[in-house]
Amino acid sequence: MQRRTLLKLGLASAVVLAVAGGAVALMQPGLQNGKLSEGARLIFARAGETILAGTLPTDEGPKQIAINSLLDRIEAFIAGTPEHVQAELSQLLGLLNTAAGRRGVVGLSPDWHEASVGEIATAFQTMRVSSVSLRVQAYQGLHDIVSASYFSGQESWAVLGYPGPRAI
Amino acid sequence: MSSLPDPIQEGLARGWKVLGGAHGALPASITCDVAIIGSGAGAGITAELLTKAGLKVVIIEEGQLKSSKDFKQREPEAYASLYQEAAGRQTKDKGITILQGRSVGGTTTVNWTSSFRTPPATLKYWQEKFGLTDYTPEALAPYFKQAEERLNIAPWQTDPNENNELLRRGAAKLGIKAEVIPRNVKGCYNLGSCGMGCPVNAKQSMLVTTIPFALDGGATLLVETRAEKFDISNGRVQGLSCIAVKPNAAPVNANGVATQIVAKHYVLAGGSINSPALLLRSKAPDPHKQLGTRTFLHPVAITTAIMANAVKAWDGAPQSIYSDHYLNTQAIDGPIGFKLEVAPLHPVFFGANLPGFGEKQAQLFRQYPNANVMLALMRDGFHDQAVGGKVELRSSGAPLLDYPLTDYVLEGARRSMLAMAEIQFEAGAKTVYPGHEMGEGTTTWLETKAAINALPMKPLLTKIGSAHVMGGCGLAADDKRGVTRPDGVHWQLENLSIHDGSLFPTSIGANPQLSIYGNVNRLAQGLAQRLTNKAVSLV
Repeated sequence: MQRRTLLKLGLASAVVLAVAGGAVALMQPGLQNGKLSEGARLIFARAGETILAGTLPTDEGPKQIAINSLLDRIEAFIAGTPEHVQAELSQLLGLLNTAAGRRGVVGLSPDWHEASVGEIATAFQTMRVSSVSLRVQAYQGLHDIVSASYFSGQESWAVLGYPGPRAI
Repeated sequence: MSSLPDPIQEGLARGWKVLGGAHGALPASITCDVAIIGSGAGAGITAELLTKAGLKVVIIEEGQLKSSKDFKQREPEAYASLYQEAAGRQTKDKGITILQGRSVGGTTTVNWTSSFRTPPATLKYWQEKFGLTDYTPEALAPYFKQAEERLNIAPWQTDPNENNELLRRGAAKLGIKAEVIPRNVKGCYNLGSCGMGCPVNAKQSMLVTTIPFALDGGATLLVETRAEKFDISNGRVQGLSCIAVKPNAAPVNANGVATQIVAKHYVLAGGSINSPALLLRSKAPDPHKQLGTRTFLHPVAITTAIMANAVKAWDGAPQSIYSDHYLNTQAIDGPIGFKLEVAPLHPVFFGANLPGFGEKQAQLFRQYPNANVMLALMRDGFHDQAVGGKVELRSSGAPLLDYPLTDYVLEGARRSMLAMAEIQFEAGAKTVYPGHEMGEGTTTWLETKAAINALPMKPLLTKIGSAHVMGGCGLAADDKRGVTRPDGVHWQLENLSIHDGSLFPTSIGANPQLSIYGNVNRLAQGLAQRLTNKAVSLV
């Protein structure tokens, strides 16, 4: 069942699944009762650090607060999506949380904990322009969810110079 | 607490019949004259006219009933509660993201108010290719005029904001005609937050016009209620099964129908993805395999410019200037034509549409007040390589649009990016970024021209969006070419009419809301006449 649904993610995803091999059978869902699993939180935290590099606070403490806030907003966003979107995201995050999925889809050798932002950025850039649809779809999914969720937070508006809603 | 009047709260207080969600449990069964599925552009016009004719009407809406007190000009809440799939609806290969409304008022609650009559060239094509001989500008004119009067549609009188003005300025320098957009507003505060619901009830959407009219006239509105399936036999719809749904469209109860509606006539107006999907779930007759086909999107290509001066694209009427130069100066069935407009930019929308990530994206973020995103709405449906998409069903019964991006359409993306970038430079751009994963910011027109010409135009790599869904239950003079008769009745089901953008046999080549209002106005007047022998009109 999981395998069949994953194949819908993209025509060329069979190639990635072949690389991922038996890992699919061991996959844990990325969402559990609508909440991000520990592995999925780590993926979004590292994706957030990479995608928002240059935008997030540079000091470690404020940066961590911003990332935690981002993760909360991502969770709230996902809770509002239809069941099919949640199922697909859960499977994608589950796949990216396996070593084979991380290597096959993201192209990242070190695990999500150990990889530097530079290594993740290099992997994301390759995903972004890949000829394998699933890799581009996965990149765009991470990018759009991270970017949209971050800038939905009022505290990010100062970076943008956005004054917020006009008083009426 | 806002001191502004809230027509929805006032209506509820004076006894509107609204059920579903927090408004009260759905009854097990309802009998009525006409059940209208949806509450957007087509549904609202139909509800007003049929109520005026004295018919007992029930309106079924999957989304929530919101009102001006809920519209806080904040994107996350608005996208989650007012848009299909939390504003993340995508085509099957995820190549196109579709913004489509999902609350009482449908897309009219969240659109940017641009209102155009169906272009004569589009109608001419329908006459020639689909036998719609009565779809002429002259025959439709009175119906458009009524809709314009009822909904306060007129060219925007206020000066355009800088975001729109730069389109006019850049186009003028190139000798390209750009004009003022008609908008459906009354007492507009020029806030710029139309896409998040109008907090001052200035936008004359279905939420504040026709739906309140119908409710004041005794109609019943079911909200957070999905029309799940028609029961069909003997060439007629015998009943409609509905279920209660949560805000994210998941069923409230795993097992079963919440309410069964029996009507003399049914009007399907759920929009061009949900209307075909309901017919597919119902296994409606489709002898010529037309249902759900020819679903169009006006695929939208973008270029982002960082202008020399501040733009503040979040502020002021979202769209007030357009150019049809690239629609009107070439054959309708030649290389794909496109309409040029601009997008309002709020932080989430801007963030999700920006190219790249990391430091490069951060540089763009820091220049947000100077950013302009130009849009090219490509006119699909007029060429054999622009046949649009096909609505399918997921295993859950939820709809999915398969819209493969052909080379023909993608070359249109390239041509439109070239046109937009040139206008942006003429208007004072310092840097232009094509909407493409391989696009980089370039600082002169010649450099940008070369860069855009070198980009591989492929699905996913080329950033394509859409806010207009049309077709899927197309009109035609015979059942081999379409799903719906010229009078709006389903070709095989005599007591079912289709009154929404799914009727259109091609895309419109313009923002479609007024096309839906005008065309449905005529169809609904005809239906009211047939059902009651009474003549009614919008004004």
